[in-house]
Amino acid sequence: MTTETAPRIALPGGEMLAWSDLPEQRLVEGGPLGALLARVVPAGARVLLAGPHDPALLDRLAHAEVTCLLRSHPDGVALADRGARVVVGGPTGLPVGGRWDVVVAAAGPDAVESVEGPRLGWDGVLARLADAVAPGGTLLLQVGNPLGVHRLVATTPWYADRADSAWSVGGVLDTGRPANPEQARARLTAAGLRAGACFAAYPDPSAPSVLVAADELDRRPTSGLFDAVLHGACAGGFTGTTVLQDPARLAVDALYAGLGSALAPGWLLLAHRPDPQRSTLADADALPVVLVQSGSAGVGVVEVVDGPDGWRWQATGGSARPAPAPFATREAARRDADALDGPVPEGRLLRTLLLDACLRRDLDTLRHLLRGYADWLADRADADGRLAGSAALAGTDNVVVADGGARPATADAAPAFAVLDPSWRASTPLDLDVALARSLWRFAAALLTGGYAHPWTSTLDVAGLTVVLGGLAGRDLSRATVAEAVEAEAAITAALRGLDADGRVRLADELRGVTPTDPPAGPRSYQQLREAWVRQREEMTRLAALLKWTEDLLTSRERALRRADATINLLSGSLSYRVGRLAITPARLAKRGARAAKRRATAALSQRRPPEEQQ
Amino acid sequence: MHHANHFYGHAHVLARYCGLGDGHPPRINGYIQHGWNIGDGLAPGHPYAEFTPSLLWSEQTRRRAWSVGRRNVVTIGAPFAYLLDLRADDPPEPQRQGTIWYPFHGWEGQHVKGDHKELIARIRAAEPGPVTVCLYWHEYGMRRVRRLYENAGFRVICHGYRGHWWKDTDPLFLDKQLTELRRHARVASNRLTSAIFYGIAAGCEPAVYGDPMILADEDPTFGGTARIRRQWPELHGEQVDLATAVEIARAELGTDHRCTPAELRELLGWANLQEDDVDD
Repeated sequence: MTTETAPRIALPGGEMLAWSDLPEQRLVEGGPLGALLARVVPAGARVLLAGPHDPALLDRLAHAEVTCLLRSHPDGVALADRGARVVVGGPTGLPVGGRWDVVVAAAGPDAVESVEGPRLGWDGVLARLADAVAPGGTLLLQVGNPLGVHRLVATTPWYADRADSAWSVGGVLDTGRPANPEQARARLTAAGLRAGACFAAYPDPSAPSVLVAADELDRRPTSGLFDAVLHGACAGGFTGTTVLQDPARLAVDALYAGLGSALAPGWLLLAHRPDPQRSTLADADALPVVLVQSGSAGVGVVEVVDGPDGWRWQATGGSARPAPAPFATREAARRDADALDGPVPEGRLLRTLLLDACLRRDLDTLRHLLRGYADWLADRADADGRLAGSAALAGTDNVVVADGGARPATADAAPAFAVLDPSWRASTPLDLDVALARSLWRFAAALLTGGYAHPWTSTLDVAGLTVVLGGLAGRDLSRATVAEAVEAEAAITAALRGLDADGRVRLADELRGVTPTDPPAGPRSYQQLREAWVRQREEMTRLAALLKWTEDLLTSRERALRRADATINLLSGSLSYRVGRLAITPARLAKRGARAAKRRATAALSQRRPPEEQQ
Repeated sequence: MHHANHFYGHAHVLARYCGLGDGHPPRINGYIQHGWNIGDGLAPGHPYAEFTPSLLWSEQTRRRAWSVGRRNVVTIGAPFAYLLDLRADDPPEPQRQGTIWYPFHGWEGQHVKGDHKELIARIRAAEPGPVTVCLYWHEYGMRRVRRLYENAGFRVICHGYRGHWWKDTDPLFLDKQLTELRRHARVASNRLTSAIFYGIAAGCEPAVYGDPMILADEDPTFGGTARIRRQWPELHGEQVDLATAVEIARAELGTDHRCTPAELRELLGWANLQEDDVDD
């Protein structure tokens, strides 16, 4: 019997024996959710994890007394092996009268319901979970967004879900479930709880790599920090999948439209059961503004917290930071968590400002921004013209510009630039021009392969556009410098991704081979694949038109040549030509003789030369 | 390369700017706008291969070209703007004096309708100092026209032949024009043309007055002289506001959009030249 091998598992009925919910893709230390729980759960608190959660959360909650409510028996066994108290069954399996200080349903109420037993529905499960929150306790609830970015880019419509978990497809048409945070708050209030903070969860609602305070997200639609964080989460969160359109573009567009929270794939809401005897366990004001999975070993989750002087970086993954590998210094770049303790600079992301100027085909703004950027980098170079540390990796996607780089009406003052996240650092200094070319090449590659409109011609390749951007920045970059920058990019990316030597070589080959008619790297998006095809078709049209034009020109030039030939023949037969030719014959013969003599002399000299010199 | 890219030695100026020397310029991957233009930057009737880049002077022309269906349009500034950069360190003329006057010309396939005598009287009345009349080579070769201006006491010059089908192009056409412009205090014409903008950029005070001399077969597609007067009234008259003129000339010549040599090599398709592409 299973219960004999796992005595900590309670089986009140309703368990699913041939089922597993545990996420396949797991974030280090439970990701931002783990970091948030570490803040919300005080030592010794009783915690109920209702529904499937990343087992790593158990480690983050080692200071608490954790009970897991699961519908899957195999999952229950797995968690019981890690020392958790486990109840396997539907929501009705919770012991009547059981109360916990913190109840977590980060996979949403749907994942708590079992196929077995009576069906409670979204509201019914919420009522059950809310009931389990002790007075003064906290409920952490995930609500999925039926119109989130993940839904808008999905190739399969939500109403055609064929997954095993879709025994009942709940969507926006089901008024029994909330479709936005306001509706969710109303349900929480109805369940006797007081709704608190709300975080927008990107890009996977159940395993978000980014949590952003929803009210801040709506309040600062042009924030460079939010731009970078949402873009990064969505660019990385759909790798290897096929999507309808670029989720990163959509997320940043939503941010700028003030819909960063409204189009988030999901929301994580905190709610408290009031208790006049005790203060609530977590104060919303003390929670971070942003929690983001760094993706780098040893850095863990990076937080942005609000303080008296504005937002500040804070790294939380200190405990898991490994000692540097013996060859770490040979890596081109690394992430340094210690650098994350300063203020978060305000401003708009340079990449977005440049993209916007490209779309509007505003060369003046591009020149203003790129000149300012190149000068700002130059100011950070040492006496030998080399950039070190975070300045060397200060690409357009990690630099913010105060006031959006607005041009002052009177003075020709440069915009104020700042490195957004200073933890990205080059291990060895880069030549200023190489660092600039690397940054511009990355932007050029994203611009061209992304199919963005821009003010230049389609005849430019990625290296060519990099040189053009360099020109706008006031720097005459050579193609050799761009080639060097691409090698540097391969080494840096390989180091940050932890690739081995073969992977690095493969990556360098890929980067060297990027052409403007390629689709962009990352998720395979139908829209961008089609755009790449349109660009290829336009290129074919251009080349065919050029070929026809060249053929016509060649025909015309051949005709001109024939006419010239006829004129020459006519003139060569004339008496004056023949007399002239006779007159210069001695000179022609002398020239021919001199050439022959020179040839003979050269041959004689080369024969006399010793054999080793001939090599 | 389209032969119009060689007009006035434009390709030669750009090749010099790009550091390719004074030799025959390599082929340009696109059409260079060869004169100030109120249309899409290309001459009317210009044979156009689809998606072939149009390398235009100004942002306004680029927008207009796009709006009439041109694609691959890019603003690079006028070749004259590049010449100004190449000759930025020329020693200044000791004293600018008089007016260089450009009677409007058609090209060799067109015929101007107008009264030169009436124009001469107008020039005499308006210009305070000595007048140099610069005729287009076509009119310069017409003894009757040239004599009219010479007999009026004007110095009559010609900057050279702009070239046709790569033949007889004067690679120093613009150089000669710049040298002449820098000798004069004023530049004037009976139409707003490239020469006026060149003159303003070269430091002359501009003026546009007199009978605009309608071409016999002028293309009305982009509105003709009437539209020019409507759109740029500030530049018309015997005296115009210099600061405004300088600002407009800067925009129309795309001076601020002048590329760096490496940037221009990329845009002209000169970045990966074989040794044989550049000959003497």
